Amino acid sequence: MAKELTTESYIDHHLTNLTCGHVGIDESAGIYKSFWTCDPYMVDKMGFWAFHVDSLFWSVLLGGLFIFLFKKGMSKCFDSNTAPTGMQNFVEMCIEFVEDNVQSLFGSVKNTLIAPLALTVFVWILLMNLMDLVPVDFLPVLAGHIAYAVAGESVDWITSPESFYFKVVPTTDPNITLGMAFAVFVLTIYYSITVKGLKNFVAELTLHPFGKWLIPVNFVLEMVNFIAKPISLGLRLFGNLYAGEMIFILIALMLFFSSIPIGVLGFGLHLVWALFHILIVALQAFIFMALTIAYLAMAHETEEH
Amino acid sequence: MNINATLLAQAVVMIVFVAICWRYVYPPILATMQEREKKISDGLEAAKKADDSLEEAKLAFDKELDKAKADAAEILEKANNRASQIVNDASSKAEAEAEKILTAAATNIENETNKAKEELRQQMSDIIIETTQKILGDEVSKEKHEAILKKAAEEL
Repeated sequence: MAKELTTESYIDHHLTNLTCGHVGIDESAGIYKSFWTCDPYMVDKMGFWAFHVDSLFWSVLLGGLFIFLFKKGMSKCFDSNTAPTGMQNFVEMCIEFVEDNVQSLFGSVKNTLIAPLALTVFVWILLMNLMDLVPVDFLPVLAGHIAYAVAGESVDWITSPESFYFKVVPTTDPNITLGMAFAVFVLTIYYSITVKGLKNFVAELTLHPFGKWLIPVNFVLEMVNFIAKPISLGLRLFGNLYAGEMIFILIALMLFFSSIPIGVLGFGLHLVWALFHILIVALQAFIFMALTIAYLAMAHETEEH
Repeated sequence: MNINATLLAQAVVMIVFVAICWRYVYPPILATMQEREKKISDGLEAAKKADDSLEEAKLAFDKELDKAKADAAEILEKANNRASQIVNDASSKAEAEAEKILTAAATNIENETNKAKEELRQQMSDIIIETTQKILGDEVSKEKHEAILKKAAEEL
């Protein structure tokens, strides 16, 4: 089923994840046996228990790159007698940047997890965002051809390089950004309970702002406030990067689907947008890190209401 | 763009990476950085101390040098004084000695002259007596004319 390459299918191809999941028995649809698959036409049947393999692949790869750069790449430099050079300077710059931010937002509270968490979040998200600057067609087309060459014979749903979806920027996948926000949310709850104590934590959610006679109203209001934090944290990152990716795709369309003057204009626009996007990439990574620190700092505050 | 189990998987992956970073990556880097920071500040402090002590040493050196110069000048002056004194002493001593020798010589000469005169007078009187005896025979004797001879000798 080699689809005709249209504007719509081009965009669609760039916005679809490689999704693998478990398809259950559904006799009305003619499925009499449950099985695992990555067939894009089966995505609707997978339900919740499906995984965006491409997003997770890049996420783990870039997280591993972060660990590698900061651990293995640094290990020979762990000698305080020699002057730092090259990669070590970069690593130390990152760490000092993170330490400064943690210091300014966290103040005197001592929690050794916060700085490593902030560093991981910042560098990891920065690396994932940077994938946006790789030309939009490069990796998906490469992956499609590799998949077709390797598994085109044996896997029935890989019928052409184009039938293999491969999204490259993990942070344009809401699952990834909300997943990280969710992890931060879990840590927030954990520290709220362990630092403030369960009683104070519950009191904070129920006795504010209207006092003890309006506990249900208080709870609803505080809960909205409480839940909104991780959701806005995840969606902010997703929205910025998704929009950035979308604009890259539209600029790419200018190059391939229109006249030469517009194509030339597209090159110029691509350059301008890529330069501007570097700012967004770094800024969103920083914002995510700063808010992560801020939310965890709030979890450590034990002020009386 | 469905929300699916990717979200949970990513949350787990994130917690794993944060844990690795927290446990294995961050502490050694931070420790190295702090250690070097301390070393650098210690080094700067030591350099400052060394500078200070160098300055102090220079001052002390200058002071010593000045003192040594002053001492040397003093010693030189003393030596000069002493030398001139020695020369003066020597010359005055020599003068005195010379004077003494001259005086002794003069006295000696005078004595010798007196002695010679006395001798001469004696001899003269002897010659005169002899001669007179010869001329006068035995009339004139040394014993008889002692007084006259003595007078004559004194006149000579």
